Amino acid sequence: MSESIRPGLGSFTAPQRKILEPTDMAKWQQSAAFLEIASFIEQLSKSVEGMVISDVGNVSPSVQRICGLLDEAASWVAAFPPQESEATRFGNKSFRRWAAELERRAPRLIRDVLGDKWDSAEIELEPYLIAAFGNATRIDYGSGHELTFVMWLLCLCKLGILEPADSQAIVLVVFARYLELCQQLQRTYRLEPAGSHGVWGLDDYQFLPFYFGSAQFIGTQTTPAASLDSRLIAEQGDNYLYLRGIRFIMAMKRGPFFEHSRQLYDISGVPRWEKVNQGLGKMYKAEVLGRFPVVQHLVFGSLLSIAQVK
Amino acid sequence: MVQSDLDRQIEQLRRCEIITESEVKELCNKAREIFIEESNVQRVDAPVTICGDIHGQFYDLQELFTVGGECPDTNYLFMGDFVDRGFYSVETFLLLLALKVRYPDRISLLRGNHESRQITQVYGFYDQFMPKYGSANVWRNCCEVFDYMSLVAIIDDKILCVHGGLSPVINTVDQIRTIDRKQEVPHEGAMCDLLWSDPEDISGWGLSPRGAGYLFGGDVVRSFLHTNNLDLIARAPQLVMEGFKHMFDKTCVTVWSAPNYCYRCGNVAAILEFDENLASNFKIFEAAPQEARGTPAKKPAPDYFL
Repeated sequence: MSESIRPGLGSFTAPQRKILEPTDMAKWQQSAAFLEIASFIEQLSKSVEGMVISDVGNVSPSVQRICGLLDEAASWVAAFPPQESEATRFGNKSFRRWAAELERRAPRLIRDVLGDKWDSAEIELEPYLIAAFGNATRIDYGSGHELTFVMWLLCLCKLGILEPADSQAIVLVVFARYLELCQQLQRTYRLEPAGSHGVWGLDDYQFLPFYFGSAQFIGTQTTPAASLDSRLIAEQGDNYLYLRGIRFIMAMKRGPFFEHSRQLYDISGVPRWEKVNQGLGKMYKAEVLGRFPVVQHLVFGSLLSIAQVK
Repeated sequence: MVQSDLDRQIEQLRRCEIITESEVKELCNKAREIFIEESNVQRVDAPVTICGDIHGQFYDLQELFTVGGECPDTNYLFMGDFVDRGFYSVETFLLLLALKVRYPDRISLLRGNHESRQITQVYGFYDQFMPKYGSANVWRNCCEVFDYMSLVAIIDDKILCVHGGLSPVINTVDQIRTIDRKQEVPHEGAMCDLLWSDPEDISGWGLSPRGAGYLFGGDVVRSFLHTNNLDLIARAPQLVMEGFKHMFDKTCVTVWSAPNYCYRCGNVAAILEFDENLASNFKIFEAAPQEARGTPAKKPAPDYFL
């Protein structure tokens, strides 16, 4: 196994699970990784306040390469169509073939993003990318997988592949492209919502499109109540991650919105987007980062370390 | 408990209105007294209608009763998973529990893998109590009831009904009788397998993608039926778009009773009727229409947003 030494950061290692028991939660919540992830997500949200997706102009070569990676992963869906006539279980088994393809190609895809300089970091980044689109055994997807993608992006930031100047593009271009692919996978293979709280969770699959997306509305004339308005969604749906999330739910679900998406329904009654954004930030820390069933699957290495902050 | 009180509570729950915390406590105590008398393997006589997962889909349960007949006019056997995922888990579970207490010989409730403290904290049942009752006390009462529910039912000595399926450590029905069921669903072992296993087109046993229970093949089913002089295994917990699915030359049947599961699957649901001669008939139904589903309440801001 190749390892390289980086000044100040030590050598790259294959990340391991470190949150094995509920009693490990305290260690996790005091870890360097926890603080870095929480602050990364908050900074990303801040960076897109008042911005729409079409505002983003030229993006850096790294952002382009990551989008290329996501495009390529999306192109495999056509090669593994869902098996017809499959009656039982939620998810379609063809997802396992797509996931196997991701696992096979991940090392090369990641090296393309890393370039020669950080070639040796591949072993450390691979587990995050592989786990970012759902679990192949259970054929499910949930906020933990979404978090894993964010951890992958954070690793790229720590290596300097992505820079602070990329923040807006990370949310409005990379994350938006990631969301599109996830929705494509969820729809095509009918992925089971992983550990979602049924109608009491924010969404069956995602969390961050709503958090980042609520920031986009800060300072605009649009109210949270309008987020469920089908005309606004039709006109502005492409421009706001929040509306993309709602649009997907409305396309996929049947039945009264207040019944199948109670949290989002209630949130549409909050008077201002600042409050929605703050509330979702608090909720993310408690319901995603703070939940053992979600974070027990996370892995830690040298870039994202379980070691306590000094 | 006075019967007229119970009848009033049933009427209230049928309108999808919850009953008070003290009423729930009393109902749970009463239900526990009934369940404790039932063996792990409950004897049920035909005619009876068997039902699969409900998952808090209260208005769809009303459709089920419309199609299958009201309790107690029709005898029912529910194979677990009353709660989680759907919007009305509390109302659904309490209504079925109240019917059980009112008509104990007319309705049987088996335990499903979601009737568990751990699972209900992840899939929504637990989350419904704060807004409804302001505390988790009622959830605790319900979980204590879960621990007493039967694991298996046998109809007229011929049809074995169980939530999930078979277990590699269980060869005979008598072995099921020896399980100490009065506990949280364990992570492994016979009780766990009965609630978590799935049939699959394999021979013998396989690992389950669910991470609990096993996959079992047609040969396992045939040998179990032969050993125990049974004809059929009926079980529930797999979504089937057509509502039911036969496997292994009709020796195993999946009955799925949650139409348009999770509001997104677009499936129909089924119940399986057995007449007094054990002749079977599936009845198919769809999700309750929008206009039968109540109206939105106010929008209280969740705590995080205050």
